[in-house]
Amino acid sequence: MGVLEIRDLHKSFGGTKVINGFSLDVTELTLCCLVGPNGAGKTTTMDLITGRQKPTSGSIVLRGDDITALSEHEIAQRGIGRKFQVPAVFRELSVRQNFEVAYSREVNPFRNMLRRRPAGFSAKLDEVATLTGLKDRLDVEAGFLSHGETQWLEIGMVLMQNPAILLLDEPVAGMTESEIEKTIVFLNELKRTNTLIVVEHDMGFVRQIADVVTVMHMGAFLAQGKLSDIENDPRVREVYLGEPEV
Amino acid sequence: MTTRNLYHSKPAQWAVYGLFFVIIALIPAFVSDGFLLNQFAVYGIYGMLALSISLCWGFGGILNLGQGIAFGLAAYGMAMTMQMQSQDPDSNPIPPFMLNNSLEHLPWFWQPFWSTGGGILLALVVPTLFYVVFGTLMFRARVSGPFFAIMSLAMLSAFATLILDMQPYTNGANGISPPSPLSIFGTDIDPYGPTAYWIVCGGLIAVTVGAKLLTQSKFGLVIQALRGDPERVRFLGYNVALYETCIYAISGFIAALAGCLWVMLIQYVSPAQLDTTFSIGMVIWAGIGGRLSLLGAILGAFLIQGGQSYLGDQFLATWLLVLGAFFIVVVRFLPKGLAGLLEKVLGALARQPGKHARSDLPHAISGAPAAGE
Repeated sequence: MGVLEIRDLHKSFGGTKVINGFSLDVTELTLCCLVGPNGAGKTTTMDLITGRQKPTSGSIVLRGDDITALSEHEIAQRGIGRKFQVPAVFRELSVRQNFEVAYSREVNPFRNMLRRRPAGFSAKLDEVATLTGLKDRLDVEAGFLSHGETQWLEIGMVLMQNPAILLLDEPVAGMTESEIEKTIVFLNELKRTNTLIVVEHDMGFVRQIADVVTVMHMGAFLAQGKLSDIENDPRVREVYLGEPEV
Repeated sequence: MTTRNLYHSKPAQWAVYGLFFVIIALIPAFVSDGFLLNQFAVYGIYGMLALSISLCWGFGGILNLGQGIAFGLAAYGMAMTMQMQSQDPDSNPIPPFMLNNSLEHLPWFWQPFWSTGGGILLALVVPTLFYVVFGTLMFRARVSGPFFAIMSLAMLSAFATLILDMQPYTNGANGISPPSPLSIFGTDIDPYGPTAYWIVCGGLIAVTVGAKLLTQSKFGLVIQALRGDPERVRFLGYNVALYETCIYAISGFIAALAGCLWVMLIQYVSPAQLDTTFSIGMVIWAGIGGRLSLLGAILGAFLIQGGQSYLGDQFLATWLLVLGAFFIVVVRFLPKGLAGLLEKVLGALARQPGKHARSDLPHAISGAPAAGE
């Protein structure tokens, strides 16, 4: 069944149409890769889903709940977690504190004033820290982490939110080969219990994680299916893979 | 596995805070000179103001150059309350300066100040509510950083001008000097006596403990997170504008309390309390003492104001230049202020003896979490 339904999304900046009638259904417990050439509107789509930008028209429905008009924090509370393209963590806080902020079951400021450590936090911290391999690094200031560790920390923070859907924008950008290997194992583990949308350029990486691949072109839906089908689709070859025949 | 810096140890922090409280509480036992005691109490007020700046600027990242709004409005409220204590509803209902400005009736907004309790309550609530409204407007529109600082400064000047211009109601540039000390429950509080000192001291201890607990709560952690990256906090599901408004209003409430107590000590208020240099001075105290340390900010206020009182007489006109130079040096070389210097020293001490075995761990140099104090 569809967790997230995007219907006929449009977005223009000034007179430029960036998203042009894009629709997408995301199925529960799948990893959907969103691919497309530069400027296809992948990150803008992420922005529209998470409320950072408001669509010109169209609707976004999360589990039957229309979230199109909500603000960022309301959408996040309803269960959409996002990892940014440029890793965004709290560099002055320790890894543990980063996870603690991300554990956002209670968002009311007044109740949080009277609370030091929320219930259920330790168990969740243990689970996420183990999964992201940051268990030994909990007391380290996040600004001192390596690039790969920072990426995992941010994915871990999104997991702390217990989101219905995780949106990952280029999760392996800037990672070393071995870090990418680890991330592939990690994401394949994750998709057994979570629904994910991953924006990615690297087709080698996509091949190893994707259940479904959605191709965007010029702000619109171009094709969807298994990677093997997509790669043989002539329209996709033309816009994305570039060369007509090898 | 990481080297423990004593600076970050919560028990050690509380011990230092406790020691500080004991020292300030014992001062009246050693100081019998009323004038000096009054001056120390005034430093306590400056300490509260620096602490309020530390909360919103240091922890919340909201650079507030207009803290004089809360301080000044509350000071006016307190002065109005004390003024009305000297008036009589039947024989003498109108303060003398209003008569001089040919007012025939007590203005409506002075009426609630007949009641001492009501007057003090208004002095605290009105500025806090203003902070809630102004903060909501600013933070919902995502005004932040230097833009917020400029807005707060502009708002401060607007209030100062307003008070200056409403001569018949506020006595303009002359300000309000209530003829007699504050009287609570039938007792006069002598501004030069130990009671006044202990009220201020108790207030300072209460707000410091409250602020310290606040910074250690989940709320405090979210505040520190949004200082670094508000966007990230928003996408984790927190209403950032609401959190910012909360910390801004709490900081305003503390400044308002300071304003009330200040008038209790000085028996005077004028638009000078809403002067921009005074509000910027508060930021300098917190910046030099250490904006990320509540106690550091308080001690920064003591240091600078003490320096101004004792050295200022000798340097006179050059004092501001000395202060400015000191501020530039601190900002350039010690972004966390003098408290940050202590943090570095303790960190170096913790690493020094017999730690060679750990030197291969790159993260050993980072020490414990930087935030939390």
